[in-house]
Amino acid sequence: MEEKLQVSRLIKTYADKTVLNGINFTVHNGEFLSVLGPSGCGKTTLLRILIGIEPFDSGHIQKDGEEISNLPPNARGMGIVFQNYALFPNMSVLQNVMYPLKFQPKLKKNAKSIALDIIEKVGLTEHIGKKPNKLSGGQQQRVAIARTLALSPDIVLFDEPMSALDAANRVALRKEIKEIQAKFGITMIYITHDQEEAFSMSDRVIVMDEGNIVQMDTPYEVYHHPANDYVEQFVTCHLKEKISSIQESVGGVR
Amino acid sequence: MTKSRTLSLSVKLVLTAFFMVTVFLPIISMFSKINWATIGSIVNTATFGQTVFNSLSVTICATIISVITAYLLAFAINHSRIPCKGALSILITLPMLIPSISHGLGLINLFGENGLLTNLLGIPSNLYGFNGILIGSVMYSFPVAFLMLSDAMKYADETIYEAARVLGIPKGSRFFSVTLPYMKRPLISATFAVFTMVFTDYGVPLSIGGRFVTLPVYLYTEVIGLQDFSRGAFIGLLLLIPAIITFLIDLRKKDNEGMGFASKSIRIERNRLRDILLGLFCVLVIGFVLLVLVSFAIMTFIGKYPYDMSFTLRHIQEVMDKGLGEFFSNSLLISILVALIGTVVGYITAYVTARTESRVVSRILHLTSISSLAIPGIVLGLGYVICFSGSFLYGTIFILVLVNIIHFFSSPYMMAHNAMKKLNPNFEDVGKTLCVGRLRLLRDVFIPNTLDTIAEMFGYFFVNSMITISAVAFLYNTRTMPLAILINQLEGDMMFEAAAFVSMIILLSNILAKIVIAGVKKFCKYRLAK
Repeated sequence: MEEKLQVSRLIKTYADKTVLNGINFTVHNGEFLSVLGPSGCGKTTLLRILIGIEPFDSGHIQKDGEEISNLPPNARGMGIVFQNYALFPNMSVLQNVMYPLKFQPKLKKNAKSIALDIIEKVGLTEHIGKKPNKLSGGQQQRVAIARTLALSPDIVLFDEPMSALDAANRVALRKEIKEIQAKFGITMIYITHDQEEAFSMSDRVIVMDEGNIVQMDTPYEVYHHPANDYVEQFVTCHLKEKISSIQESVGGVR
Repeated sequence: MTKSRTLSLSVKLVLTAFFMVTVFLPIISMFSKINWATIGSIVNTATFGQTVFNSLSVTICATIISVITAYLLAFAINHSRIPCKGALSILITLPMLIPSISHGLGLINLFGENGLLTNLLGIPSNLYGFNGILIGSVMYSFPVAFLMLSDAMKYADETIYEAARVLGIPKGSRFFSVTLPYMKRPLISATFAVFTMVFTDYGVPLSIGGRFVTLPVYLYTEVIGLQDFSRGAFIGLLLLIPAIITFLIDLRKKDNEGMGFASKSIRIERNRLRDILLGLFCVLVIGFVLLVLVSFAIMTFIGKYPYDMSFTLRHIQEVMDKGLGEFFSNSLLISILVALIGTVVGYITAYVTARTESRVVSRILHLTSISSLAIPGIVLGLGYVICFSGSFLYGTIFILVLVNIIHFFSSPYMMAHNAMKKLNPNFEDVGKTLCVGRLRLLRDVFIPNTLDTIAEMFGYFFVNSMITISAVAFLYNTRTMPLAILINQLEGDMMFEAAAFVSMIILLSNILAKIVIAGVKKFCKYRLAK
């Protein structure tokens, strides 16, 4: 399999705390990779370093065999979908997607046709004039994805995009992300603390704990052969929580 | 360090330096004027003791009445089923649109020796002194307390009341065990804010106090009349004490906040008796407010109450002859400049403190920019005279603009700060990854999404600059005099009808400004929602 992104010996410290402790991993072309872990495990920092909005202490990030860690965020050929999508509330769907294109000298001329094309591909043509607050959660997610795809990145990162949505919605939105990935054939790296989300979407899962990668494997392997007690606990205890909360909501046995 | 970080850091440093020069330098130079050797001889006089006693007694009484009135009104608006709440809230806040000195004037119109009501009802006038200051101070301070308390009540959480009902806590105890504890902080804030307002105001006592001298009036006469800056500065120091306490209490409150949003808005039970009583109270208070405001119109157009009841435009002519046009345009120019510059500076300050990194510098700038809240206008004005009297600014209209910007800075700054904190925290990162710079985001995202806040800031600066006399009283000259000061002069010349007309002009200008601002805000909301 072709290597898309290679991260080696990545170290990041804040004052006296080690956030990333010499991380190594490789992402294959067209892969869907989840980074799973509790809050504070360093997964969001990792994502912010990959896209280039957070500096790091040492290590290498290579994309298609070339070092990219010195490039500015917009020159790395990566896109990112933020928590709660961070759409511009005063702009319509079309304006949101078109806005970043206007600042690209090469794309400026065709900004509108590029935006229209991508909006059609994510299936939002009929909502083109609407403001974000008039869209459903799923539609907002599609706008956010379209906005990053407009600059044609070959890797898209997701920073817990669904954390603010209700459970019923999230299942549907997972499917949408997978469909968009299939359609555009891009590599996706998905950050989450929800193992059900990670397991259901990913080709491979990275489980992180306190700045270290404790396991990196297919969902099947992580679930059936957890590398250590930590992974096992994290996987099962979360499921227990979920089951008890489902029981509560349906008024079942306690 | 990247270019944008260097830019934001230098903006922060420039702003911090600006506030150091415009807020702290004047206060420090004021203190340096105090000649401590002579202070002992002032403090030991009987007059001084009496003045302090006067100030404290009238302020404490006014604060109690004002806060209770405000609480009842806020309760009526938020926790009862009386009709027309929107209109009532607007009417309750009308007194905020006229100078404090006009409240004194209005009371003279109604209850003075030949007042409209004293004459009509044949009751003896006993207004000048304690009574007049008390009523006038309540009038001018209760709307502020009302807004603070009403804001807190709006976000009361119904779930707590539901829990109390389910647990079978009786109604009376519910008030003491649920409502009051929830309102404790807002009540403390409002109490201190009102105390400081009344304690440091000299518009009301100047117009209606007679021989009942309070500390601010004492300061005013010492400085303006006798040019004794050492005494003035000493009294300024005394006036600063409650203001600083208020500031520190509010600061603690803001740091502790985090209870977050109410999960459920309050459900108001049916209770006819409560609604009737509260409705009556609202009508009574608003009636009194309107009576004062209407008295300006009556006084303006009647020859000389009660001797000459004919309709006349003579008083308007008198004011014209005094130079109304010039003072009015001074006031408008000052207020518009304050609103324009104040809004821009406030917005930029709020942007860099709310939306950029380097927490330490942001925190320092945030504190310096809200610290002007702790300085009463009268103290700020005195500090400015002492600090800037030799500078090129002195004697120009710009010193009045500057002192007003600083005097009223903290509230509009906080409006902008809070509005920008509410916007998605990832916008800057979105910008970085999409190659959209900070300034472009500011222009295309932040400003369009906070237009209603900008309008609100503008209105706050404008209205307050139109009514203020406290800081500017030390700094104007015949060419730069604003309209509100004219009221004081006309009263001094016993031209109460003319003063009433000036008060009315200020009121009408501010009502007009408020309507325009409300229209702009509505338009912004409509555009955003479309």
